[in-house]
Amino acid sequence: MGRIPGIVLLGGALLALATVALWRGRPKRPRRDGGYVTGLDVGTEKPANFVVRWLTTVDHRDIGVLYLLLGTVAALWGGVDGMMIRTELLTPTTTVWDVETYNALFTTHGLTMLLFFVTPVFTGIANYFLPILIGADDMAFPRINAIAFWLLPPSLALVRGGLITEVLGKGLEFVGVSVPILLDMRPVEMGWTMYTPMTAEMANPQIDVTLLGLHLSGIATTIAAINVIVTVFCERDEDVGWANLDIFSWGMLTTSAIVLFAFPVLGSALVMLLLDRNFGTSFFAVEGGGPELWQHLFWFFGHPEVYILVLPAFSLISYVLPKLVGRHLFGFRFVVYSTLAIGVLSFGVWAHHMFVLGMHPQLRAAFMVTSLSIAVPSAVKTFNWIATMWYGRLRLSAPFLFCAAGVGIFAIGGVTGVFTAVIPYDMRVHDTLYVVGHFHLIIMAIIPFSMFAASYFWFPLLTGRLYDRRLARAQALTMIPGVLLTFLPMLVMGNDGMPRRYAEYPEIYHPHQIVASIGALLIGVSVVLWLINMIQSYRIGIPVRDADVWDLKETNQFSREWRWFERRLAKQGGAAVGEAPEPEAETRQAEAMVEDWDEDDESDQSGGDASDAGDDHADDDHDAGDDHADDPANRGGADEGQGE
Amino acid sequence: MDTQRVVSVIAAGVVATGVISGTLIMLEVQMRYAMHLFDAVARFVGLPGQRFLGFVIYSFAGVVVWPLAFLALRPYLPRGPDPAAQGAVFATALWVVFVITGSGGLDGPILVVYLVFTLLAHWAYGFTLGAVYGYLTGETPTARGEPAAW
Ligand code: HEM
Ligand SMILES: [Cu+2]
Repeated sequence: MGRIPGIVLLGGALLALATVALWRGRPKRPRRDGGYVTGLDVGTEKPANFVVRWLTTVDHRDIGVLYLLLGTVAALWGGVDGMMIRTELLTPTTTVWDVETYNALFTTHGLTMLLFFVTPVFTGIANYFLPILIGADDMAFPRINAIAFWLLPPSLALVRGGLITEVLGKGLEFVGVSVPILLDMRPVEMGWTMYTPMTAEMANPQIDVTLLGLHLSGIATTIAAINVIVTVFCERDEDVGWANLDIFSWGMLTTSAIVLFAFPVLGSALVMLLLDRNFGTSFFAVEGGGPELWQHLFWFFGHPEVYILVLPAFSLISYVLPKLVGRHLFGFRFVVYSTLAIGVLSFGVWAHHMFVLGMHPQLRAAFMVTSLSIAVPSAVKTFNWIATMWYGRLRLSAPFLFCAAGVGIFAIGGVTGVFTAVIPYDMRVHDTLYVVGHFHLIIMAIIPFSMFAASYFWFPLLTGRLYDRRLARAQALTMIPGVLLTFLPMLVMGNDGMPRRYAEYPEIYHPHQIVASIGALLIGVSVVLWLINMIQSYRIGIPVRDADVWDLKETNQFSREWRWFERRLAKQGGAAVGEAPEPEAETRQAEAMVEDWDEDDESDQSGGDASDAGDDHADDDHDAGDDHADDPANRGGADEGQGE
Repeated sequence: MDTQRVVSVIAAGVVATGVISGTLIMLEVQMRYAMHLFDAVARFVGLPGQRFLGFVIYSFAGVVVWPLAFLALRPYLPRGPDPAAQGAVFATALWVVFVITGSGGLDGPILVVYLVFTLLAHWAYGFTLGAVYGYLTGETPTARGEPAAW
């Protein structure tokens, strides 16, 4: 541009327009008439001061919301890392950022996504819903719950310290104070696996800070897991037994058990690494335990960790999907068993990350067998999801699209994973983009997809408002192709031998990389659409007046959290209490009733005047109800008689 | 113009300028200074090289000039009556001129990243401006209509 600065151009134009506008006066607008429900008020006894209230809260729902916010921030931050990685890979040479930046990017991307996005978001959902689902007043240890949450923001700051200290350092320089150490702490570049000896020898002091941050986040996660376990064991309402515990609580329980055994191993390994780096111990030095020791310890945590990430996603899909297609979860009991099986097996496969290390062939074969066998429970779940959708009432709502696409893409990711468990093929693709493509197809598909699905499914309950359906569907329909475009090319490149963690690559992969980056851009657009929808619908969405947003009563799946929501709505006068079900729905309901509690439920609902409390105790979660009948698919009425 | 609205919109401008400045600083550090965002701001303000003075003018524009213009133009901006959505539209216009005068010697992939992230930063500015303004003056509308089934 020429001489005139943009600010003058813009300012001039705007002021001219504004003068015209002011001169012509404000157009008349019709007044609001008021009298509409404006969403839910949050409880009344909490401190009136906004800041005090959120800093001191020990309420499980508030803490759940805090977790969700932190997880979203981390996801966006880690997502920026991901977009930057993909930008670098648009060109075969390092023309955009440099190699150090690239290394820092995939490291912080991995750590942020794994430890500060996925785990907090699922812990948040669990905090909010688990007590409601099991009929508890709160988590078992509300204060410890708050502590577990408040350890996370500082640990995120420690782990990603390099950037934050730099902002501080530059800021201080701006006012004339110079603190060189702040500028010496550069973002860490060792990869999320932190392999020794490299990590023990790198000079960057920020690495120590990051290790401390990781340790702190491990403590936070472990505390939260203990809280979940104790809550499920001790705080269930009388009418919630093991047999009718809902599938989401089962998933969180199993996940928390894995956390309890996996994270302390990571914590110990991190302390050993810190000692090696700073106090001359030799746990991982060649003359000591050797670099392989790190890999054993790390992967004994690392492999279970991937199930810590994915089991809550599985159980969310198992919880939400049946409600969206109007059928009961097919094979409820086997879905629970497979969750437990994964929980146990996940500790027995760690060495499959170390096939190329040269271990004894028989040992290697043993790990190959356990690795292949862990695919079985996952496949059981996949079949059950598909069977649940079969003959279901498929409405293309956004959460359904996310569930269905999540299951489909997870299948691709899972099958490619079976290949990596096979030693000869793993030798070929180890540390290539194939592996990156494989695990992103899994973690990208099932984890954020289940979260998106849950965010839409429960949005009315969380905010008292409805989300924008069109925008939500548009989001799903950009996200799904985005994920496939981003990660499928990586399978091809990796199979051809393109190693991972490289900022440069041969010219032949240029087209693949461009496709992948375009896919990533689609993912980014989709995330922005989601954010807009969440924020705008929360602010000005249509208030909910009927708690049965998803027509769950019709299929007898109006589970505890929705009944709880209905009572809240009734209390604030937003919904008609005990609304009689539609006649047609009633007959269908009657057909579906087999179990005793189902009959209670029916009399409650058709009675039309059930008191809130009575309603709550009389009927159980109907997903869980399935468990009592041996074959859930066969116990249904006309609409769900398609069994095996 | 009534004072309550003016005071509210300037308060909103303070918050929004804080938001966009924070975003730009984090982006610049995260991108390891490859985007030269503050040089872009200085160029935008017409003082290439003079970062501090540029910063002062930029803050003044963000806190006073743009908010007042927004206030005056609001009745004519699309996506009303929600002031936050209108603010985002308004900021899109600011962004167009910002990238025309401010994007300096960037090209190739980095330019794409620059465009996307500066657009998002401007949206954050405009949205915050409108949202805080609406909150302070109570001009944020309440939605109505029949809830749909799914
Ligand atoms: C916006 C979507 C995403 C994009 C574009 C993306 C892209 C990438 C890329 C290009 C790499 C580096 C590959 C290499 O050279 O080794 C990577 C690594 C990784 N990503 Fe993602 N990713 C995304 C989402 C996720 C999510 C949701 C998670 C976890 C829940 C995740 C976890 C990881 C991990 C653990 C690594 C390995 C880091 C390391 O090598 O130390 N990513 N990602
Ligand atoms: Cu593994």
